[in-house]
Amino acid sequence: MIQVENLRKEFKKAIKEPGIKGSVKSLFKPKTEIVTAVDDISFNVSKGEILGFIGPNGAGKSTVIKMLTGILTPTSGKCCINGKIPYENRKKYVKEIGVVFGQRTQLWWDLALRETYAVLKEIYEVPDKQYRERMEFLNEVLDLQSFITSPVRTLSLGQRMRADIAASMLHNPKVLFLDEPTIGLDVVVKDNIRKAIQKINAEEGTTVILTTHDLSDIELLCDRIVMIDKGNLVYDGQINNLKHKYGQMRELCFEMKNSDDLLSLDYKGHFTLDEDDLSIESDGVSATIRFNSDRASVQEVLKYTLAKIDVRDINVKDADIEEIIRRIYKEGV
Amino acid sequence: MMKSFFRTYMPFAKAGTQQMMAYKVNFIFHLIGEIMSCFIMFFIWKAVFTSTDGKTFMGFTMNDMIVYIFISFMTGYLSYSDGAFVLGEEIRDGSVSMRLIKPCSFDMCFLFQEIGNRVISYGIIFVPIVAGVEIYRYFLMGSVQFNVGNFIMFFISLQFAYLINFYFNIIYGFLAFYLKNLWGTTLIKDVIVNFLSGATIPLAFMPFALQTFLTYLPFSSLSYTPVMIYMGMYTWDKILFSMALQIFWIFAFWGISKLIWRSAIRRICVQGG
Amino acid sequence: MRRALRLHRIFISQHMKRLMEYKLDFTMGALGLFISQVIQLLFLGIIFSQIPNLKGWSFNEILFIYGFSLIPKGIDHLLFDNLWMIGYQIVNKGEFDKYLTRPINSLFYVTVENFQVDAFGELIMGIVLVAYSVVQLLSHIVWYRIFVLLLIVPFAVLIFTSLKIITASIAFWTKQSGHVIHMVYMVNDFAKYPVTIYNNVVKVIITYILPFAFTAYYPAGYFLRGQDGLFSVVGTILISVTLFGISLFVWNKGVKSYESAGS
Repeated sequence: MIQVENLRKEFKKAIKEPGIKGSVKSLFKPKTEIVTAVDDISFNVSKGEILGFIGPNGAGKSTVIKMLTGILTPTSGKCCINGKIPYENRKKYVKEIGVVFGQRTQLWWDLALRETYAVLKEIYEVPDKQYRERMEFLNEVLDLQSFITSPVRTLSLGQRMRADIAASMLHNPKVLFLDEPTIGLDVVVKDNIRKAIQKINAEEGTTVILTTHDLSDIELLCDRIVMIDKGNLVYDGQINNLKHKYGQMRELCFEMKNSDDLLSLDYKGHFTLDEDDLSIESDGVSATIRFNSDRASVQEVLKYTLAKIDVRDINVKDADIEEIIRRIYKEGV
Repeated sequence: MMKSFFRTYMPFAKAGTQQMMAYKVNFIFHLIGEIMSCFIMFFIWKAVFTSTDGKTFMGFTMNDMIVYIFISFMTGYLSYSDGAFVLGEEIRDGSVSMRLIKPCSFDMCFLFQEIGNRVISYGIIFVPIVAGVEIYRYFLMGSVQFNVGNFIMFFISLQFAYLINFYFNIIYGFLAFYLKNLWGTTLIKDVIVNFLSGATIPLAFMPFALQTFLTYLPFSSLSYTPVMIYMGMYTWDKILFSMALQIFWIFAFWGISKLIWRSAIRRICVQGG
Repeated sequence: MRRALRLHRIFISQHMKRLMEYKLDFTMGALGLFISQVIQLLFLGIIFSQIPNLKGWSFNEILFIYGFSLIPKGIDHLLFDNLWMIGYQIVNKGEFDKYLTRPINSLFYVTVENFQVDAFGELIMGIVLVAYSVVQLLSHIVWYRIFVLLLIVPFAVLIFTSLKIITASIAFWTKQSGHVIHMVYMVNDFAKYPVTIYNNVVKVIITYILPFAFTAYYPAGYFLRGQDGLFSVVGTILISVTLFGISLFVWNKGVKSYESAGS
């Protein structure tokens, strides 16, 4: 469905020199440097898949999405979606996709919500009959009925996001791009949005590309993720593999009776662990030890800890996906 | 007291200057666009003077008219205050309530910020226009027409004009509590103020009764007074009288703006900002 | 084409609904433009109270040129005002993304999205002035020229719009160009008066570089006195079409190098 090959995007950036002299100089002879926002990225997405597209701030996620949606033209490389090249045949292409930018609404601010849909119907040339059916379906999935006659500016953030997703689905797109669709929403609303996305994907077979900073979105919705950092692809594969690959980290949390006890514990020396294999956090009462279970087994670590100190409470956790990704963002793959 | 006053507000002036520097290119384009209207006037008056038999038009010579056009443009530009627009925006998006939690008076923050960016606009337009006008007059008349006394009084009067405009616009900005979009009303306000202040048509061209009436309104203090002082059209008695009138209007508008601000605070608290 | 008109109608009706929400604000805008024209006329009135004609042009002829200049300007203002926003914020804030994710031409979408009723302040004034001066000059009017003049109006509008498109497009490279649009737009005020009052530099600029003279003075001069028929009429048409072609080219180039905003 989606093929991305060696995609690359460079931006020109003006360099500002300090002081009045610098700004006068930049007026006549602006200096620019070239920043590579996306550097040689390739991946494929098959039909009906929900792909999680993640990366830290400034990684180049949005730039990739904007190239895939035809907003930006790549410097080099190719992307092809459903047999079409976005930036070459833009008008035809965008009829087949839906786009939601969570930070920015596409609804008409001052008008009742249903007016926006009426205009979009015309823009996308949706026939009357199909329009009625779509509205019915979207209403069922996203529950728009209660606010469809209110002006958009009076909607809550959660309602607005539901309305935005509906707006992008009105013309029955084959691919749906969701850029941070749960940003700023509370847990209950997030949950509703996720269910709606799942339902749309299941019932219509829509391919979904999802970018988000909320990793529970990813865990609940996606099987596969593509992760980029500093413009480069750093991971492409199943979430389970990621867990498998990096999941050997375990977390041991305990509450101490005496706060000095921690000093008597020397995991590093006892198990001969490297920097990467161990981290210790403590606030004096409780402590969290993260360690590589390949190097030191859970059983050994527990035994060692309990033998050395008195604890009030103790438990061991798998590293969750968030922890894994935090590690990757910080250290790279 | 004075020292801490400046320590509080100088950062606002600095921020104003930097803001202006960041937008200098925009500012220059804007200025070129605006100054176009002066040149249109210039050509119209040239055509008028070639189409008339006498040397003067209602008491003004061609030379007077040129000075009038450019100096009144400059006066308008330098006494312009953006307070209404900024305040209007803040009221609309609710950020005006942020003014309440800052430990400084709202009008002084605005004022110093504007003073900061006026420093730059003086550099860009004051010197070239005054020099241009004087050089033009020198070549036309064959002698230096520049009068230091008038010039100093003009400069002071220009600052008064700015302060009147500043407080007048603050008062006007509070209208945003009632209107969503100030674009239209601002247009009306500007057109009417320009007319009443003599910036569009010299007040001297109007019927005598109207002229007398308009000189007592605050608007003539905004443009006509400083321009007439620059041109040497006023005697010293008249200069002192008009400037006293300017000072009166500064205090009047300052007082009114304080009163409105006080009731506005109550409104913000009730509305929840 | 039919689809374009249909979309345009829908956008206008949406805009009218929005207008009903902010009735007062929009009335104020139209009123403001109207009053500013009245004061300009007052100024002309004062001048003509002292002189019989301005470089050979009578008061009524000047009123006609002035009034006619407001008509193409007002139509452009009414229909294509959103281009200003391209220059001021749409590109700078990355809001242009929205226009690119729709299956219609981005330039068309941007221009039809807004419908600026303020412009009626100018349009009504222009029509009143033209009507008044035509009645005053009735004996000099050659009637078939009215049709030629009507034919010219859309092309004159196109000159305004094309110059706005070109200057707005600059924002695709520089992020903001609102002040460049403003600067160029202000030149149109020169065209409200007979070109003969200006020196050669101004004449060349408003005829050949920023050809605003073709939006008012040349067509009006042809209508009033039959002067330079070929140059005025065919010139307006040729220049507007050429400019429009250039503006489309620049716009498309600009969209290609649009960089959006944010990361």
